[in-house]
Amino acid sequence: MTTYSRPGRVNRRNFLRGTAAAGALAALPRAARAQTEGQLLLWLPGGSDLFCQIHTGLLDGFSAGAGLGPAQTICGLGQDTEFTQALIGAITGGNPPDISMLWDSPVALGSQGAFMALDDMMANSTIPISTWPAGLLSSCQFKGQTFGLPVTAGVYSMWYNEELFEAKGISTARADFPKTWVDMRALSKEFTVWDGDKLMTAGFMPPRSPETMAIWSALNGGMLYDEANLRYTIDSEQNIEMMNFFIDWLNEEYKGDVNLVDRSSNFSDGYPNGDTGMGSAFREGRLAGMQSGSWLMGDIYGDPVPVFERWNLAGHPTGPSGTASVSGVWPNWFVIPVGSKNPQAAFDYLAYLSTEGVVEWYQQIPDYPTNSQVVAKSPQSLVDRRGAEFADDVTAFLGEQAKIVTAMWNSPVQSFGNDQIRLAMEKIYTKASLVADALAEAQMSAQAELERALAG
Amino acid sequence: MPDAKPRTAGAPASPRRNRRSGRGEARAGFLFALPWMLGLAIFTFIPLILTFYIAQTKFQIVGPPKWIGLQNYEAMWTDGAVWTSARNTITFAVISVPIKLALALGLALLLHRATALSGFYRTVLYLPFLMPAVAGSIVFMLLLTPGAGPINIILDTLGFSPPDWLRDPNAALWTLIILSLWPLGVETIVFLGGLQNIPKDISEAADIDSPRGWHKLWWITLPLITPMILFNLVIGIIYSFQIFTQAIVIGGTTGQPAESTLMYMILIYRAAFRYFNMGYAAALATVLFLAVLLLTLLIFRTARSWVYYEGDSR
Repeated sequence: MTTYSRPGRVNRRNFLRGTAAAGALAALPRAARAQTEGQLLLWLPGGSDLFCQIHTGLLDGFSAGAGLGPAQTICGLGQDTEFTQALIGAITGGNPPDISMLWDSPVALGSQGAFMALDDMMANSTIPISTWPAGLLSSCQFKGQTFGLPVTAGVYSMWYNEELFEAKGISTARADFPKTWVDMRALSKEFTVWDGDKLMTAGFMPPRSPETMAIWSALNGGMLYDEANLRYTIDSEQNIEMMNFFIDWLNEEYKGDVNLVDRSSNFSDGYPNGDTGMGSAFREGRLAGMQSGSWLMGDIYGDPVPVFERWNLAGHPTGPSGTASVSGVWPNWFVIPVGSKNPQAAFDYLAYLSTEGVVEWYQQIPDYPTNSQVVAKSPQSLVDRRGAEFADDVTAFLGEQAKIVTAMWNSPVQSFGNDQIRLAMEKIYTKASLVADALAEAQMSAQAELERALAG
Repeated sequence: MPDAKPRTAGAPASPRRNRRSGRGEARAGFLFALPWMLGLAIFTFIPLILTFYIAQTKFQIVGPPKWIGLQNYEAMWTDGAVWTSARNTITFAVISVPIKLALALGLALLLHRATALSGFYRTVLYLPFLMPAVAGSIVFMLLLTPGAGPINIILDTLGFSPPDWLRDPNAALWTLIILSLWPLGVETIVFLGGLQNIPKDISEAADIDSPRGWHKLWWITLPLITPMILFNLVIGIIYSFQIFTQAIVIGGTTGQPAESTLMYMILIYRAAFRYFNMGYAAALATVLFLAVLLLTLLIFRTARSWVYYEGDSR
């Protein structure tokens, strides 16, 4: 099984993992942590054993082919904040890895001078800026400089259980999937059944993940962060309208109480909730559809095994003020930390990884290759399970979605901004604040932090 | 010739010899204490001074600190999270410390009654203190899980409507307070030590003077263990202002739900290690240091009027 949980905040699990990883890092012999000229050292934040094996194999193969010394890949150093702490410690200690994967935007640390700007090296390479989707690359750029590469990305789309749709006599064709939030809400009602205060089955849920709010905002014609003007726009009219729509939906279909929903099962994503022990309603056949990243394709048939076989993907519906569907991503970023002893070799590896290594990577773990030159081959596990035709169709669909990615992950205070959005959504969904008040508060805090970070 | 004069056995050494001996002892004592003093200087005083300095800089670890004067303190003034976390922390301290002291005293009074199993009870009561706070918090989270948690099942069975302990913004802080009351071992042992030091004659005289147990507790027992109350109070307040582990396990760095478990220490950790804003974190830490220091001094000041030390002239 390829368990591949995404970090969002420092929760209990991440806190424990980070503590263990920091201890493990400290216990490593100095030679294992130190970079050496002519030998590449790669750090990975997390992922499964398979994830580590793939990257170790790719780096070893590249190093051997390029005539470099034996490379070293250090896996599972902890997710989110803990990994960043270790990386910053190594950079300030003058002994960083040559290459590091990040699961958080490189803009914040890149703008502070932690990562090398790659623009000059990209200009004369096989992966110039023109070969990257602009929305994706913007997640690595600040004031005209590129501090990393979004080599692959989990592409967000709408997932739906075809078997539940068929049972209701609803078309499962991708083209027939709801095109607007209003339509999606109407369809959702078809599936939603309560037994007292327990939600038995549901159609779709009002979105609650702060990481994907940039997508929903863009679907309603808005944005959370205006990169061009270095300004947060959390409390814009479109975003207030968006959250009012979601709250109205919650009130109408879900008794206005997210806690009742959460007590019934995990209706938020395709994985069991590690904190509450609740199973995934989608896998249990109790949720007709949801938004999720493409990484779920690698895990969906794993433990806990879903009660259905057939699912499909569709584009995001648009909001009342939106005009076109967009998509979003959670990339796997790669950076070259300042202080790397092998910067050119490290960049050459990133060029190789972005164009050739990603083909093998995607075949084994469905993180979509983002460089436009890559022709992705469908994930083998999906081919084995659902056949080549379906796997190729889904891969092609994700490729189309990757082209309409909205700008996200591009703030120099990304973590802070995300935390403010998370807080605002909690206050809104738990009715602790009115929509406009919560968003205004988040806007004020995020903008103040942005200005502090940009000053001087 | 000063040494020509014979000295009888047992006679005191000369003042000069005494001084030499005293200096030697002082030197030895100093050398023995030196490692600890060095540790205190290197790991406490220097970081403390550096904290005061960093608090007046913009320092994001990557790159050198940049002097910005009092801007970090000014930013605190307008940061809503500071006020929220301060309110949460003070609420936590005001509620949890007195309850904890009362419970610990009650347990100590029970343990003080000599029974064959008192040693066993003492051990059992101390055990929770030995359990790592993270593990204890996770156990509590499982016990309080909505729907499947045993506590909610029991309350449901009894006809109560249990709250969403960890997700309801109005209940989460109370959950944290309940969780903090669990390891009472240290406070109880301290109180027990005080109770066991009460002279028997005073205790027996009190029994003769008044048959009412609470009279004895109020007029004899409590005054005689006021030094232990003071100790537990000061330690309890310092601990409650620095609560971190349970809070981060329950609410993460954002104090979920809706900042209801956002404690001041979490704010410091978040500023330093999530946002990498070391200058701001240092300013937050400085304010906490001063607040706890002032509060402790205030308690010691008031202690003169309510703490009784045996042999004290008052």
